[in-house]
Amino acid sequence: MKKLLVLLSLFMVFMSLTACAKKETIVITWKQNKPEIDAAVQAYAKAYEAETGIKVVATSCGGDSCNLGDMLKADYQAGTMPDIFPIDGIAAYNDWASIIADLSNEAWVQQTSVAYKVDGKTVGFPVAVEGWGMAYNKDLLDQAGIDPSTLNSYAGYVAAFEKLDGMKAELGIDSVVSMVAGTSMNWVTAHHNFNSLLSNGLAYGDLSVTNALLAGTVDQTRLDEYAKWVELLFNYADQTILTTGNYDAQVGAFLNQKAVFLHQGNWVDGNLTTATFKMAFAPHGSSAAVTDGIFVSPPAWYVVNKDSKHLQAVKDFLNYMVTSASGQKYMVTDAGMIPAFKNITLKPAGQLSQSVQAWVASGKVYSWDQYYFTDAFRTNTLGPIYDEFAQKKITLTEFEAQMTAAFIANKK
Amino acid sequence: MKKPHNIFKKDPNRGLERDLRNQKLIFWLFLFPALFSFFMVQIIPFAIGIYYSFTNWSATAQLSIDWVGMKNYIESFKDFRFLYSTMITTIYTVLNIISVNVVAFFLAMLDTSKLKGRNIYRAGFFLPNIIGGIILGYIWQFIFNQFIPKAAAAIGFSYFSTHLMLGDVKTAVLAMVIVSTWQYAGYIMMIYVAALQNVPADLLEAAQIDGANAWHRFKNITIPMVMPAFTITMFMTLVNSFKQFDVNVSLTGGGPSTTFMGIAIKGTTLLAMHINETSSIYLNTAQARAKAIVFFLVIVSFSLLQVTLTKRKEVEL
Repeated sequence: MKKLLVLLSLFMVFMSLTACAKKETIVITWKQNKPEIDAAVQAYAKAYEAETGIKVVATSCGGDSCNLGDMLKADYQAGTMPDIFPIDGIAAYNDWASIIADLSNEAWVQQTSVAYKVDGKTVGFPVAVEGWGMAYNKDLLDQAGIDPSTLNSYAGYVAAFEKLDGMKAELGIDSVVSMVAGTSMNWVTAHHNFNSLLSNGLAYGDLSVTNALLAGTVDQTRLDEYAKWVELLFNYADQTILTTGNYDAQVGAFLNQKAVFLHQGNWVDGNLTTATFKMAFAPHGSSAAVTDGIFVSPPAWYVVNKDSKHLQAVKDFLNYMVTSASGQKYMVTDAGMIPAFKNITLKPAGQLSQSVQAWVASGKVYSWDQYYFTDAFRTNTLGPIYDEFAQKKITLTEFEAQMTAAFIANKK
Repeated sequence: MKKPHNIFKKDPNRGLERDLRNQKLIFWLFLFPALFSFFMVQIIPFAIGIYYSFTNWSATAQLSIDWVGMKNYIESFKDFRFLYSTMITTIYTVLNIISVNVVAFFLAMLDTSKLKGRNIYRAGFFLPNIIGGIILGYIWQFIFNQFIPKAAAAIGFSYFSTHLMLGDVKTAVLAMVIVSTWQYAGYIMMIYVAALQNVPADLLEAAQIDGANAWHRFKNITIPMVMPAFTITMFMTLVNSFKQFDVNVSLTGGGPSTTFMGIAIKGTTLLAMHINETSSIYLNTAQARAKAIVFFLVIVSFSLLQVTLTKRKEVEL
């Protein structure tokens, strides 16, 4: 009994000492969805604390190993919802609408034209600007005598692919295109390539095709031209990479100059730092008509939790990222992202990122409309159709028929 | 004068009573952490989950959780992907049970024979079980997608370099069975080894003297005496095959696509992965909960059936 009393009193003393030692520091939590830039994110969090005294706890969740949607649900259920977290479209916005803060009066809103707006309110801070088209190896095209400016229509690509295919031995390539369609990579086909059907050739923000498809009305001419483009890409791709290749295999083939074209976006700059050749983006050739532009958009927007304990500190954090030297250095130099803000003059080092900036500067951009379709529809309904087509289990006509049936079944 | 010590009065602070009480205390003290964790992490969430399966719970910042009755269960049975996953999981389970048990029993027979280096084999066969399912899946994915095609091309079997096992649904299921057998056979082998070692040698000798040949001895003595092990191993392989998830996700990712009822779907999405997708991709968390409960009931029924059947065949010495 005596021993217990002594232990208890020691314990009380200890607790009171620690209570005295604790100071009220402001801590804000930042969840971001690009695991490949985690090192840059952690460095910036430290720099922010050194410069402002506010502690930032940053976590990365994305890619294969972490599902952001599930993570946010778990955080919400545990009562530890982050102060800043990313959303990628209307579905994610609707999940969290009741706790998202209105940021319309923030200083950074004036510096960007691609903030996320709902019902006239600005709610999303653009993480970066990203884009994709057909990345091409300029040196190999020069060697084959093909002018990249002809690569903006179906006919242009047919001519180029046929010529390159006939010169495979001479150029030292395994295939003309490095393309994937397998199950784990169906975001390349059913999310990105699918977007060509939705927005290629249309004015930025023009949702006429998207809305028609959501209503179950399929423009068969446009679908047919698009299907032929898909068939072209699949026929001239390395069949092993196409059916079972993963991200590293696909990008690796382009990096090692075993393919002339790569169907990916400027985010692959991080994997191409050791490239020894010149590269840039060309438009997709999914129409008979000329479609001179590439697909550009912020991939995600940061939203702010309006129930945050330190709401003003969180808002200041976002402003600081845009206005301060260390914030700009983090976004452009360390994380290699293209900034979405007019006042930032730094340029990213990657060739593909610079290509995207060039297309943006000339105003030749098309929008990302794939997020108007649910993740489930793209991944589990469209994805397998592309996969079957890539495995040559269905013909072009059957591909178009199954796509049409899928849109009709998906009718809202 | 000191009070005389009454040898007939029991002192609760000494002797047998105190020892028994202490033993009980120690028993509960040791059991408590495990029991507490089990209760908090399994029982309570399971009970809460049963409630959620009758509502429209989405785990997000929804404004209210509404009761919807049997809607989630009815829609689960109408979901053709749920039916497909059930079907493919059953096929996979049957193949896996046969494969794991045959291989494990064969290895156990080798292990209890007079073969040299038995101890090394025992450790070697058991090692794959220690590697986690996700890493296993990625390693074998490399073997199936890169190593086998290139090795086949090098020795002239060009069929295998162009037809990848993971590229077709039927062979992808076989690939999962291969990986799962490789991982699990060692563990099951240990159970069979223990059982085989308990078959009394003098019984076998007596039978041999009476003229029974190797096959008769095996069929009439060894198998009935190993039956308790079969009860356990069948149960374990049945439940584990049904619950297969990490090898599924990392090896095939839901698999190459195939056509079912006229619609293209991912071909090797087993039940656990399908339920996970219902929650993460279809964002239908409440329906996923309902499917998980149906899943639980199916496994429990199959297991009870199997244990009852095999227990009848057990022979006690």
